[in-house]
Amino acid sequence: MKTLKLSLHQSLALVAGLLGIFAIVAGNPYKGNTATMNVKELCLLVERETDHISVDELADWIIKGKADFRLIDVRSEKEFAEYHIPTAENIPVGSLFDAELMRNEKLLLYSEGGIHAAQAWFILKAQQYKNVFILRDGLAEWKDRILFPSISDSATAEVKQAFEKRKVVSKYFGGTPITGASEVSQTKQLAIPKIQMPSGSPAPTGTTKKKKKEGC
Amino acid sequence: MNAPFFKFDYFGEETSLIVAFIIGIGFGFFLERAGFGSGRKLAAQFYLTDLTVFKVMFTAVITAMVGLFWLSVLGLVDLSLVYVSNTFLVPQIVGGLILGVGFVIGGYCPGTSCVAASTGKYDGMIYLLGIIAGIFAFGEAFPLLKDFYTSTAMGKVTLPQLFGISYGLVVFLVILMALGGFVGAEWVEKKFSVKSGGVRK
Amino acid sequence: MKTLTLNGPVDDTAEAVHDRIEQPAARYWNPYVAGIGLGLVLLASFVIMGRGLGASGAFTSLVSVGVNAVAPEHATSNGFFSEYLGDGKHNPLKDWLVFEVLGVIVGGFFSGILAHRVKGTVEKGERISTGKRFLLAFLGGGIMGFGAKLARGCTSGQALTGGALLSLGSWAFMLSVFAGGYAVAYFFRRQWQ
Repeated sequence: MKTLKLSLHQSLALVAGLLGIFAIVAGNPYKGNTATMNVKELCLLVERETDHISVDELADWIIKGKADFRLIDVRSEKEFAEYHIPTAENIPVGSLFDAELMRNEKLLLYSEGGIHAAQAWFILKAQQYKNVFILRDGLAEWKDRILFPSISDSATAEVKQAFEKRKVVSKYFGGTPITGASEVSQTKQLAIPKIQMPSGSPAPTGTTKKKKKEGC
Repeated sequence: MNAPFFKFDYFGEETSLIVAFIIGIGFGFFLERAGFGSGRKLAAQFYLTDLTVFKVMFTAVITAMVGLFWLSVLGLVDLSLVYVSNTFLVPQIVGGLILGVGFVIGGYCPGTSCVAASTGKYDGMIYLLGIIAGIFAFGEAFPLLKDFYTSTAMGKVTLPQLFGISYGLVVFLVILMALGGFVGAEWVEKKFSVKSGGVRK
Repeated sequence: MKTLTLNGPVDDTAEAVHDRIEQPAARYWNPYVAGIGLGLVLLASFVIMGRGLGASGAFTSLVSVGVNAVAPEHATSNGFFSEYLGDGKHNPLKDWLVFEVLGVIVGGFFSGILAHRVKGTVEKGERISTGKRFLLAFLGGGIMGFGAKLARGCTSGQALTGGALLSLGSWAFMLSVFAGGYAVAYFFRRQWQ
């Protein structure tokens, strides 16, 4: 029997060739679109509610210029153009994975009421994203509590004192505080503020991305 | 295994810099081993007397490509988390042509000039200064070039997407092409080094 | 003791000469073996970091920091430099590519030492003066730097990394590099022959 002797080059070429031939039938290397998840863990997470952020907290973060999180508006582009919370960037649920979100970033999601944000939260969680948070009750709550806070005339002194603080926050974001319960019905006619960072804010990151390149 | 490790938060930004340094050492080591610290050896690629550049580059490309493909297929690496840069077709073609000209004139590329400089090649050190000047010039001219620089933006396009064939088939075709290229390179080398009187090492 | 001089004059003591004679520069590795090594380093970068290698980006950070130090307003108003300077919260030199390139310098030196190839020389053909070679090296480096920025990367970042990831732009770039090189090689042959 003659033993087959290959030179270094021939054996390397053979290995490469074989790996290439099997590659044709090896299937799709992109496995990112399917996910396996620990449902028990997710249930506990939901129960604990540690991933909720209130609108008051968010307002506070924006005023203080906190920049360690990305505020993501998952509504449609049109809705986003009409109004969005300052510093937010628009990533509709459908394009969640085109947006190059990093798994180690702190992501705060919001939608009109919170349903879409919660669904996006679930999708991201299933993909092993670590720090995903939801704005509790969404943009509706933001409008109610931050932009157009209201107070009835019969409120106690304590409540009224707290309301003074709310008024400052509201003005900061260009909203209109409402005093007197009778006026509450007019809320709908109140002007939605223009989308821009309030004056005097420390870090106007806006919607422009400042992602660092990873290339050469 | 959850890889890429960094994307799964196995370590932080600070540690990643140490990783960068270690990976860089490996990179520099193999560049030097291949002879890429020598401008003459690199430039010889364009005179067909020594096709080491082609051989090393394509071997590296197919090694990493095949490795990444199989690790992904086996579920060990999440390929969708590996950063692919965006394609801007025309600026990249023009940039490539300019870069090729610079390669022949200067004898190095940015990575290899670092190796050349650290192994004592004075021209490599001067080349590094040239790169810095070139980048500065580009930066200064950027307002004028911006429109061209951002033209033909195609996003992340890979060859499998472009041709509409499976990733594995592209991997196979690239390997086939490279192996064919290697056979051709050996033949060309033999032919041209005889013509110019021996291989310069 | 053997001394390896990098920038200084060549050590001509009998001992050093003896060492140089006794330990000639080792041969370069088989290109395919070196290529596999290089490919494995690139693969390690993919697996550990989820990104590839690079080089010119590190120089861009360096240039941006330099420009920022001399003329801060000019640097921040320039869309190119300001991108590399970031939001001002991080030191632009505490960058992945900067550390990687530092590693390349160390790794190259390390390999050179082991193979007795670290020596102060000028890489050129016999028919060209050192001064001319330096001029061409500077010119070539400048052209390379400009082209690399236009193409968003160099041979490491685009050709190697993008090539292995089968990126369209990177493959177009890679072929253009060879095309550009071969197109002008004839006119610069005297430098290398």
